[in-house]
Amino acid sequence: MSAEFTVVGKSLKRVDGVARATGRITYGVDMKLPGMLHAKIVRSEQPHARVVRIDYAPALRLPGVKAVVTGADDPGGLFGSRMSDQPMMAHEKVRYIGEPIAAVAAVDEETAEEALGLISVEYEPLPAVFDPCEAMQPGAPIIHERMHEYKYWEGWCNPRPGTNIINALVLRKGDVERGFAEAAVVVENTYRTHAIQHVSMEPHACVVQAETDGRVTVWSCTQAPYLLRGSLAAALRIPASKVRVIATAVGGGYGGKVRLKLEGPAALLSMKTGRPVKMVYTRTEEFIGAVTRHPSVIRMTTGARRDGTLLACRAEVILDTGAYCEAGEVVLWEVVQATPGPYVVPNVWVDGYCVYTNRVSAGPCRGFGWPQVTWASEGQMDALARELKMDPLEIRLKNAFEEGSISASGEVLHSVGFKECLQRVAEAVDWHKRERRPGRGIGLIGFTKMSMPQTASAAFVKLNEDGRIGLMTSAVDLGQGISTALAQIAAEEIGVTLEAVEVAAADTDTTPFDSGAISSRQTFHVGNAVKRAAGDLKQQVLAAAATMLEARPEDLEIRQGRVSVRGVPDKSVTLAQVGTATQIRLGQPILGRGAHLEEDIVMPDMATGQSPKPAPYWKYAAQAVEVEVDSETGKVVVQKMVSAHDCGRAINPLSIEGQVQGGAVMGLGFALMEEMIFDEGRVVNPNLMDYRVPTSTDFPDVEAVIVEAPHRDGPFGAKGVGETSTIGAAAAVRSAIADAVGVTINELPITCEKVLDAIEARTKEQKLPG
Amino acid sequence: MKYPVTLGVNGESFELLVEAHKPLLHVLRDDLNLTGARRGCESGYCGACTVLLDRQPVHSCSVLAVAAVGKEITTIEGLAVNRQLHPLQEAFVADGAIQCGYCSPGFILTAKALLDGEPQPDSSTVREWLKGNICRCTGYAKIVSAVLNAAGKVRAGEGR
Ligand code: FES
Ligand code: FES
Repeated sequence: MSAEFTVVGKSLKRVDGVARATGRITYGVDMKLPGMLHAKIVRSEQPHARVVRIDYAPALRLPGVKAVVTGADDPGGLFGSRMSDQPMMAHEKVRYIGEPIAAVAAVDEETAEEALGLISVEYEPLPAVFDPCEAMQPGAPIIHERMHEYKYWEGWCNPRPGTNIINALVLRKGDVERGFAEAAVVVENTYRTHAIQHVSMEPHACVVQAETDGRVTVWSCTQAPYLLRGSLAAALRIPASKVRVIATAVGGGYGGKVRLKLEGPAALLSMKTGRPVKMVYTRTEEFIGAVTRHPSVIRMTTGARRDGTLLACRAEVILDTGAYCEAGEVVLWEVVQATPGPYVVPNVWVDGYCVYTNRVSAGPCRGFGWPQVTWASEGQMDALARELKMDPLEIRLKNAFEEGSISASGEVLHSVGFKECLQRVAEAVDWHKRERRPGRGIGLIGFTKMSMPQTASAAFVKLNEDGRIGLMTSAVDLGQGISTALAQIAAEEIGVTLEAVEVAAADTDTTPFDSGAISSRQTFHVGNAVKRAAGDLKQQVLAAAATMLEARPEDLEIRQGRVSVRGVPDKSVTLAQVGTATQIRLGQPILGRGAHLEEDIVMPDMATGQSPKPAPYWKYAAQAVEVEVDSETGKVVVQKMVSAHDCGRAINPLSIEGQVQGGAVMGLGFALMEEMIFDEGRVVNPNLMDYRVPTSTDFPDVEAVIVEAPHRDGPFGAKGVGETSTIGAAAAVRSAIADAVGVTINELPITCEKVLDAIEARTKEQKLPG
Repeated sequence: MKYPVTLGVNGESFELLVEAHKPLLHVLRDDLNLTGARRGCESGYCGACTVLLDRQPVHSCSVLAVAAVGKEITTIEGLAVNRQLHPLQEAFVADGAIQCGYCSPGFILTAKALLDGEPQPDSSTVREWLKGNICRCTGYAKIVSAVLNAAGKVRAGEGR
């Protein structure tokens, strides 16, 4: 593979590996500045209430307390992703238990913590709503009365003021009624998914310093420095360039560290005290005051011919975004585009709703809505296979997208390695010759995800006087290895080794714009920007070297850090000589610039959802899981998992395997272990004892399979994979359980009780006469 | 009320004034700037704060600093000698066992304690030993294989 490349396509060691292995890297929680104060947040105890009075005078009397801020100190700007609906601190009313009401800064964390107990809040409770279906009904308590005033991006949002529906989107294709009329079988089911937490091992953390000149400097373990800058500036009502965000190392993000959180209250406290203010979430705050995965309710009806050909799909998708959007409006926008899954369906009718409820907001979470719709769409494929007595692999292969297929939105699809993913996982589990044993089963499913449009990336690449390459982007390495992948792309393009590239950390004062580590986009978008910038640098180097060598630029080549005349290897200069000459003698320092362009995106028509190109690219994947089910206890043990991903081109196969394995285990946790349990909007298990995440003994090693269907717009053909890895696990586990014991569970998570209940119900059914 | 204590960390001895209720994790991070001991849950459930106390792994968030007096404390910062990485560190980097790296010090130190006592563990022993440490990034496969590979190197005398 990749014989034509020298750096790209190789499993090279990560550029930051040693720093991480030795503990010598600074995460958000490690930041320290002289004179720094420590802050804590007073959080709402009510799911929906008017805040009548906040009494913090006793807290200010506590020695060591330096300041308290409340909504009254907040300039009142609202922020959001495509829909700006959220204040930094509650103004007048609270919408969930855990919403920030006040914040206190003190000389140390303990004092700040103690001060929290001295701040009392008087509420006037309002009726609350916790279920998204109820929240959509007429007469439900209204959570955002001023929805009509909210600012949002055209083409993304269709809010319904006067209701709790913050976004209502559709997809229409063909004539579903006719499709169902022609179908030999029609299956209809309701699917539910639950809230989970990201559980990044590093909690949210930041230090904010309000500078004397009115600027605000933020050190944060954010996934998206420029998005944070934009949100904080909007909330503070100051120009974006007045905020400087410096990215620290990030100890896990998975979507949870994309949006503005504790940086807001910390900024207000720093402005009030003039001192740097540090804030770190406790693990409990991660559960009650960060974001979750969107719970969903999806009703889906699918019809097919006797031979398994899909004819029609009608779906209603309801996403519970909690108290604020936190990108829920975008989650909905994405999943509406391909709710039926990666299959050709001639007639499609999707109604999607993103709905407010009075619980902690749901936000971006690895997979971004696709685990939810995949839970539904793959359930339908299994149900059809059962009805038609077809092999689950066969019905998928029969309808699977391939190069040139037309999607439900009318796009002619490109770079579609889906069938190969299905076939490769089938091979890995020996699908056709699999042994049938009681209590054992294999599930095999497929799925897709888009990378969202209207994001941007830029890159600067400079030649240093020692001939080494400096790479400046605002990409964030959450652990996925993007620093290494970008360095590989730059090295390949220029003609140097990976070791010759230094990667700078994101700093909005110096590194160029980027939408950040979201939507599995960095390899593709930042990769493209870096490739272009490196190409630009290369042209400048060749021009300078041509002058120095008295040759023509087109006769020169760069290899291993040396520019030489092709065919005359001793007529050469080193990159160091070029770097020194251009900066010091010639006065023409070399800086390559590049950006990722998205010229061909067409935002879907709001009335039909149709678009010939709604997304920069689509990812495809398939997963197979083998389980053993104990019919006495309902316990499900995963014996094997294989996950195949079409990543376009693997820039660094080792990193991709790591993404695929880690995401799969996170997906298995979502399927079988993890659940945030709510009681009237209160999280009842906000700690790692009561909320269990997978450990080393819960699941087997995941076998990662890399499929490459190069994308014409990707750097060297590459696409992202980080988020896709998590999506299918739950659906695969459900299929495997059905294969093992003949029961189907459509409500996540899959607990022992649910499996047992389903087995008992089926046994009773079988005993009934007739 | 603060008490004078002497803590032995990574072969050095430190005289400090600490409060009786202060967890070792806070003293390491705040007073000694040894931030390789990470703060994950502060309740004994994630292992991010793991350090070695007399060569045994402990959750430093759940051990009082005053209880560590007279013991030999090893943090990740003390593992590489003369800038030479420990074979476990080498293996974690080479095998892709590190993604965000936040959990890595805890895993590496726990694995060191395992290999010190049992140079030839099988993979289920490794998994059993590591179950007190959470990694949200890797899915554990590459961590387990890195520990096994490092064990081979240690046995072959390529490290300590
Ligand atoms: S921080 Fe000590 S176990 Fe989590
Ligand atoms: S590498 Fe991120 S938590 Fe383990």
